Amino acid sequence: MKQSTLRKLITLAMLAVLCIFFTAKNAVFMSAGNLIAILRDASVAGIVGVGLTCVILTAGIDLSTGSVIALVGMTMANVYEYTLWPIWVMILLGLLVGALCGLINGFVVARLHIPEFIGTLATMGIFRSLTYVIAVDESYQMRTAEFVKWGGKAASFQLGGQNVDIYWVVIALLVITLLGQLLLKKTRLGTNLYAVGSNPKAAQLSGINTENTRIMAFVITGLLAAVGGVFQTARLQSTQVLLADSFNFDPIAAAVIGGCALDGGEGDCIGTLLGAIFMAALNSGIMKLGLSSAWQNVIKGIIIILVVLFDAWYRRFMSTRAMKRKAQQSGTEVA
Amino acid sequence: MSEIILEAKGICKSFSGVKVLKSVNFSVRKGEVHALMGENGAGKSTLIKILTGAYTKDSGTIEWKGKPVEINSLGDCQKLGMSCIYQELSVIPALTVSQNVFLGREPRTLGIIDHAKMRTMTRELIERYGFPLDPDARVSDLGIGVRQMVEILKGLSCKAEVLIMDEPTASLSGKEAETLFSIIERLREQGVSVIYISHRLEEVYRLADRLTILRDGENEAVLDHDQIDPRKVISLMIGKEIDESAGTVNTMHTPTGDVLLHVERLSNLSSFHDVSFDIHRGEIVGFGGLIGAGRTEIMRAIFGIDSFTSGSITFDGKPFRSTPKKSIRAGIGFVPEDRRGQGFIPLLSTTRNVALTNYDIIGKKGLAIDEKEELAMSRRAIEKMDVRPSDPGKQVGLMSGGNQQKVVVGKWLMRDLKLLIVDEPTAGIDVGAKDEIYGILEDLAHQGVAVILVSSDLQELIRVSHRILVMRKGSIVREFNNGSVTQSMVLEAASGLQA
Repeated sequence: MKQSTLRKLITLAMLAVLCIFFTAKNAVFMSAGNLIAILRDASVAGIVGVGLTCVILTAGIDLSTGSVIALVGMTMANVYEYTLWPIWVMILLGLLVGALCGLINGFVVARLHIPEFIGTLATMGIFRSLTYVIAVDESYQMRTAEFVKWGGKAASFQLGGQNVDIYWVVIALLVITLLGQLLLKKTRLGTNLYAVGSNPKAAQLSGINTENTRIMAFVITGLLAAVGGVFQTARLQSTQVLLADSFNFDPIAAAVIGGCALDGGEGDCIGTLLGAIFMAALNSGIMKLGLSSAWQNVIKGIIIILVVLFDAWYRRFMSTRAMKRKAQQSGTEVA
Repeated sequence: MSEIILEAKGICKSFSGVKVLKSVNFSVRKGEVHALMGENGAGKSTLIKILTGAYTKDSGTIEWKGKPVEINSLGDCQKLGMSCIYQELSVIPALTVSQNVFLGREPRTLGIIDHAKMRTMTRELIERYGFPLDPDARVSDLGIGVRQMVEILKGLSCKAEVLIMDEPTASLSGKEAETLFSIIERLREQGVSVIYISHRLEEVYRLADRLTILRDGENEAVLDHDQIDPRKVISLMIGKEIDESAGTVNTMHTPTGDVLLHVERLSNLSSFHDVSFDIHRGEIVGFGGLIGAGRTEIMRAIFGIDSFTSGSITFDGKPFRSTPKKSIRAGIGFVPEDRRGQGFIPLLSTTRNVALTNYDIIGKKGLAIDEKEELAMSRRAIEKMDVRPSDPGKQVGLMSGGNQQKVVVGKWLMRDLKLLIVDEPTAGIDVGAKDEIYGILEDLAHQGVAVILVSSDLQELIRVSHRILVMRKGSIVREFNNGSVTQSMVLEAASGLQA
């Protein structure tokens, strides 16, 4: 079996353990309604996570996605308030702002050679502050039906006596994950992302423009953060300066739990999708247990540390096993 | 005789006034394996870097298929049809074999990579040249030898007509090397030329159609296959007059002191096997051998950086299973091969670098370091080693190579040392500093400290050592402990020629 497939099965197994644990505590957890809610909650982090997968594949990190979401939401709501231009123009504008933020991140990191961590930590602050700068009020309503529908259901039907809702954002998640996977596995840019993260020097020697590859990863992340921002604003029917405060963290968590290696070259979008669902299930479970939401980040943090620890152990285990096998082979040759 | 594909004439190159290449000629025929040999510093790598565009030549011409060309970058070199197989492998572990081979040149339809076509193209190449490779294998799952094949395949897929291989077998096992040789032979049949740089005589003897020997930046000889005689090659590389001149021959001694370090049948997974030797107090033992013979790896295992799988080490009469910290406490010092990467902390001052290994013997003021004592120690080290600049606050990263090495050696002299292991201690440092370091090693031996000197500089090895052990392919193959020793004798042992 391919190692990446094995790693996804491990994520699925962790998800299964989580579900069994929470169902044992509270049977409502496995109801259709709750599962659909989990999927809906996973969506924005999952969409942004697809972008982050690209960045993490190049051995990078982007801490600014939550701030981009807020800036996108605020730009749309603000411009709409004063111009009342059509909604599609607003959405286009939002996507443009997101892509621009990504371009800035990419420029700072790849062209100015600022370490990712510090570069995107700085832009995280900048984008959040810009949100305050352009906001006259702390929050804005965006209740136009044309816009709000994107935060709601695309379809609804009965299945075995249960009500099944299909939300637009879930459809977007699945489509974007699929497109992302296609990008990674079937295009030159995707291959280059793996190459740059796995062995940047060799990538350069093969004629790959490593700087542009890294910039593209950030632009994709910015763009997808904007997509997330559009859906989040539509769902809340409003935006505020503190929108998506936790979204700097959740997409990274999703990618890491889904099997992206922080030192690059390892992971894909399907894995990140599973990771996002895991995170949403964890959030839901914590709520169902009646724990205060304040505990969420404590538990999420601990789980991230455990997963990274596990990954490190798992990779070491795999490589020593391979080495021993090779030593054995050459041993028999000598004899 | 086939046509000449690549010809370099009268190539000269100087670095800061020192002539490294003095009008060197080098030509490669179509479909030949042309070996390039020479001692360290003979100018092999400079010549190759000029051919691949990494350096620019001062004068001379390069002709490709009879036409003069300028090679100013690796891109130029690849466009002509030359491909370099790098010593430090440049494949991408996260990708498959076929992805690596076609990286940056993937066949596409409408922007979507045609994996099926890529796989077929890779398989065609594999079959044509007889590589034991699977196009879909992930490179991270492959051994180092197979990765090298991927790199060769990548060069061939760019229609390379000349492949440059620099010490390709340095990190390969015997079996892997065999596979490489049969591939090289297949390449020759298909009309691909190979420039083969190696220190290993038996490989050159087996593969090369012609051999160019460089010595001190000059063409020493160009030999055809049937003129290649191992002993002759060695004497051409070293130069007869030098080999027998005073200062390069030395008399070896049987040790008289007590045994300090006893290594018994030490093995690890890959690089050394069943190695046993004794080191006595007050002697300088040289370790000779070719790159990849396992010398550095054994020293790292003794000092406790890497582990070993079987065997035992006895130090100062007691069994010893070490960590670097324990080794230091027991009185072992270690000067690593990679000075810049492992020897010192570039951003710290001389004082801090000297103190770093010695905080256990520097006093404390409460929880803080006694900075007066620290400074006094650093001044002692600076004086003893004659470090320049003598300012203890100077960042070591800003000093010359020779002075950096003096700091690295000096920090060990501040301790109660029993054994000092130095690995390539004078690589890349100037002659004056070299002599000073030799003087320090000799002083240490006089005081009863044992010294292990790992060196690929034969002249240094013979001049400084009291006794020489020669390693080859992970085992000790020869000991010189009496009579006089010449560079040829050491090199012959390291190359596997019988005495």
